[in-house]
Amino acid sequence: MAKKKRRTIKKIKRRRAKRKLSRPEKRRPAKAVRKKTSRRPTKKTVKTRPTPRYVLDNSFEFLYELRDLVLKASPAEKDQMARRISGLGRVKLAIISGIFMNKEHSDPAIADLLIVGDDIEQRRLRSFLRSLEAEVGKEIKFAVMEKDEFQYRLSMFDRFIRVLLESPHEKIINKLGL
Amino acid sequence: MSKYILETLFESRPRLKILKFLFRNANSSFSVKELAAHIQEEPLTVRKEIAKLREIGLIKLKK
Repeated sequence: MAKKKRRTIKKIKRRRAKRKLSRPEKRRPAKAVRKKTSRRPTKKTVKTRPTPRYVLDNSFEFLYELRDLVLKASPAEKDQMARRISGLGRVKLAIISGIFMNKEHSDPAIADLLIVGDDIEQRRLRSFLRSLEAEVGKEIKFAVMEKDEFQYRLSMFDRFIRVLLESPHEKIINKLGL
Repeated sequence: MSKYILETLFESRPRLKILKFLFRNANSSFSVKELAAHIQEEPLTVRKEIAKLREIGLIKLKK
């Protein structure tokens, strides 16, 4: 057994030696070198070219005039919003305030959007808010409540509702006769 | 009378969206990709509009 084993080991060694000789010796180091050189330049190009970032230029001639014009919620916007909100369920009341009133909010407690209604579809509501936020360009503070809850809060002079109704706002849907 | 006053005046919905977004976030900077994602428009359209807005000096590159 032992003899046989040694023989086979010798054979294998011999075979290996043969293979080594027959192989071109340069192959391995060449590969390693190529790898290194090909890696370096890509790293460098990434470093030297950051993605350009843009900001509003505050020295623009018509900056404030344009801002007032652009940020004013247009009738088309309100119309479209009213239509989309009424498609969310049995909506009785929709109030816009805050950023839709083209004002910096003084009170952070003021919601931008209040929707009162029953059977409001959550999925549709979420997608509507997402697209609205895209349009507005900011996170929207919103509240959704059922008609009963709203009327209860209204009757007890709830602070959230009172603040909203006392600040500049607009009812784009109003089926409650408020 | 059509109600799309600003849209008609600016002749481009993406441009109006970009303007709104920039004015509402006046102090932060954006890459084309981020802007496109925010306003849900194609990056190519956004890039074109930004080039125009840079030309008139409304937008500048952030250093």
